[in-house]
Amino acid sequence: MTTTSSPTSPAAPATPDTPAVRLDRITKTFGQDAAAVADLSLDIAPGEFFSLLGPSGCGKTTTLRMIGGFADPTAGTILLSGQDVTRLPPNKRNVNTVFQSYALFDHLSVADNVAFGLKRAGVPREQTRRRVAEMLELVQLPAFANRKPRTLSGGQRQRVALARALVNRPAVLLLDEPLAALDLKLRRQMQIELKQIQREVGITFVFVTHDQDEALTMSDRVAVMNAGRVEHCGTPEDVYERPETKFVASFMGTSNLMTGVYRSGAVQIGGGPAITVGACPQIADGAEVSVSIRPEKIWLSDFEPDMPRARGVIKDTVYSGPTTTYLIELAPGVTVAALEQNTARSRNEDRWVGGESVEIAWKTEHCLVLV
Amino acid sequence: MTTVDPQRRPGLPGLPGPDAPRRRRLARLPRLRRRGVEARPRFAFVVTVLFFVLLYLPIGMVVLFSFNSQKSLTVFKHFSTRWYSAFFHDHVLLSSLGMSLKISLVAMIGSVLLGVALALGLVRARGRLGSYSGLIMLVPLITPEIVTGVASLMLYKGLGVTLSTGTVMISEITFSISYVTVILRSRVAALNPEVEEAAMDLGATRWQAVRLVTLPALLPAILASAVLIFALVFDDFVLAYFTTGVDPQPLAVRIYSAIRFGVEPTINAVGTLMLAGSITLIAAALSIPRLFGRSGGLDLLSGD
Amino acid sequence: MSVFFISSLLLVAALSFGTTDDLGNPRFGSTLDNIRRLAAPAYRTVMFRSLEYAALTSVLCLLIAYPVAYAIALHAGRFKNALIAAIVVPFFANYLVRMYGWSVVLSDDGPVLRLLRAIGLADSHTKILNTGPGVIAGLVYGFVVFMIIPLYAALERLDTALIEAGRDLYGGPLRTFLFVTVPATRQGAVAGMVLVFLPAMGDFVSAQFLGGPNQLMIGNLIQDKFFEGQDWPLGSALTMLLMAVLLVGMFGYLRRARKDEAEASR
Repeated sequence: MTTTSSPTSPAAPATPDTPAVRLDRITKTFGQDAAAVADLSLDIAPGEFFSLLGPSGCGKTTTLRMIGGFADPTAGTILLSGQDVTRLPPNKRNVNTVFQSYALFDHLSVADNVAFGLKRAGVPREQTRRRVAEMLELVQLPAFANRKPRTLSGGQRQRVALARALVNRPAVLLLDEPLAALDLKLRRQMQIELKQIQREVGITFVFVTHDQDEALTMSDRVAVMNAGRVEHCGTPEDVYERPETKFVASFMGTSNLMTGVYRSGAVQIGGGPAITVGACPQIADGAEVSVSIRPEKIWLSDFEPDMPRARGVIKDTVYSGPTTTYLIELAPGVTVAALEQNTARSRNEDRWVGGESVEIAWKTEHCLVLV
Repeated sequence: MTTVDPQRRPGLPGLPGPDAPRRRRLARLPRLRRRGVEARPRFAFVVTVLFFVLLYLPIGMVVLFSFNSQKSLTVFKHFSTRWYSAFFHDHVLLSSLGMSLKISLVAMIGSVLLGVALALGLVRARGRLGSYSGLIMLVPLITPEIVTGVASLMLYKGLGVTLSTGTVMISEITFSISYVTVILRSRVAALNPEVEEAAMDLGATRWQAVRLVTLPALLPAILASAVLIFALVFDDFVLAYFTTGVDPQPLAVRIYSAIRFGVEPTINAVGTLMLAGSITLIAAALSIPRLFGRSGGLDLLSGD
Repeated sequence: MSVFFISSLLLVAALSFGTTDDLGNPRFGSTLDNIRRLAAPAYRTVMFRSLEYAALTSVLCLLIAYPVAYAIALHAGRFKNALIAAIVVPFFANYLVRMYGWSVVLSDDGPVLRLLRAIGLADSHTKILNTGPGVIAGLVYGFVVFMIIPLYAALERLDTALIEAGRDLYGGPLRTFLFVTVPATRQGAVAGMVLVFLPAMGDFVSAQFLGGPNQLMIGNLIQDKFFEGQDWPLGSALTMLLMAVLLVGMFGYLRRARKDEAEASR
């Protein structure tokens, strides 16, 4: 990271089609370990709110650090607005980062923290002052300009970190689990606020998180990562409703993943019922498949005609405020979860209890058959 | 919080603890006051009080008799500052004082500069090299001073260097670096590496990141260790004793000879001044981190 | 810095095999005479005396420091930091002046003996200066802080919930102290013993100010060989001997500490 070289390729003229970030077959290995990031390619469009989502150790933070310049890829190239920055140190890249720990400068006031990048860039003092004030306004902290970061709350520190990065008007803002240290309520509030700020400034956000709610709520597109690879990249609706792999299906929310054998529009679950899934022309008869139905897409009452059905026994009832989850055993070893809004059966005695026999139903278009 | 019914618990014979009626009274007091350890260990308190008395008694004696009008160390006649004026008219002692101040200042600057660099370097050099050099840094700290004194003396003789103020300075710097490094190393290790990355992210070069972010964060510890080194070097006599030449000897060496060969009450005055000086400096070193709003300066000494 | 330190130690090692020429200047050589001379009964006595004094000092420091650290760590409340500072600050003040003051306190007409005489625990012949206990008292006064700091750190870290749990399980305060508090602070105590033993072993000021010709320690011999006797090779040999004893102690401690750490992490 200490070498400074001029970009290897001349900056291509940035057209609206030039991705803000292009990762071209990036690989990163640490010592003898398996690759933290393996042959990863991604395009992120200008102005997009893009999330890297995955469990810890999936390589999402390493990917972010490579974009920021804090880690060198072992192979592959990184382009920012068409310019090759693979070997550029962080201070030569037009990206800024909001760190997980915020990494505020404790010896400087809030205003000086925010002004740090502008001073390094040699922005005239008057302009610096104005932009810092604007930015503190944007993150709703104008009254705290002269305070030291230590005296602020977690949420306020988070805003300072955001302001300090945004004030430089980077082409891309990298956010490394910035909300992880906040409590749930504050996190919800900041999710909405971050999204609003992103719309207002129009800067590309690359957001790393392990929290699928967060990714789904805020992002234009989500890349679900596992073991150094992107498993599925698409809109929140895509990755949630139509996951391309078993990993994505099970990582995104609760899935009822059942394995069985596909035969003409139905999946015969080992030792259990046949689940009607509708015709899947791309799957050969006799193939081993997994079928997934989201808990909220399983009906327990008000069935529509021609819905496929199955019978089961309630094993457990989990009440959690607005919803209730029933664990229903269809056959020994085959259990599905079904989620119901607490509207129809709002009183305790109306809900089913363990041991009762119930009928479930679903729509074939909600069945996801994964090879 | 676990509450033990104080009346159910049998009192152990021979153990310091409140007697039964008092215990009943204690049980009614708010539990918090006891921090959960309800019996006050009377024995420990007596030892502590005795300890503090004996700790300050010798210092008090020196201070007291420095104001004695008589030469006696046992009978205090009446208040006088004659030994102080004797000191301020003693050119040999004054030149030693000047020498000590000079040595301490040079040693402070030298060891802090090198120690900061070493501490920053050692933490970066993680792995085997870092841990070995960390261990080597500790050796001078726990080696008795007489060994380091003998070793330095031999080295200078071996190299054919004439002993002088310069040799004292070099030795003091060498062995003070260990202090600075050990104090700063834990501070550097405790720094969040993301902070330096953040500085570079915001356009700072590596050196700017160190200068604008890392060093200011370490400033309290650096100042504290500088003051501490000044006081330690000023007070050190073993190393100085072994490496000093024919120049005016450092004050501590002079005092050592004076105490050995017949006690002059001037020593009381000089001693009082030195005590006052070093106590002020050490207290300052301990409280510097506090001035910067960090809690606790004591870990400076325990190295935690 | 390490280079400086190690090379000078090597020189000491080298000279311990050397001789002096007719004028008393040191010469490097390869004689074992100096090592052999160390075996003389006089030196052996001093060596064992140093070991004995240093060991006794460590034990005494532990006995004194434990109650002090305990009282401050667990019962001083908000005065904790102030009290620890009140201990640390004078200890870092000038060592010579402190030892000198201590010798005044322990002198025949000093306050300690006067008090002991007044309550009948001493008569007019009792002396502290120029005796073994005097030297040990000096060493304790000089180095007890190295015991208090690690003990205090260990006791401070001790979760009071542990003591309360001990009261629940064992009942009496003494049993709790023995089975809960002491084991939990054992590492601090061992560290303190080492930190006291090392400088006490090499000290020569205490024996000089508070002892007589019969209480010399190895440090006094070394100093004598270098400054009065001008027998540097023998002084070097003595230094190496001292260093060897200390290294054995130090490595023993480090191995022990590493084992403790390994156990703790398991």
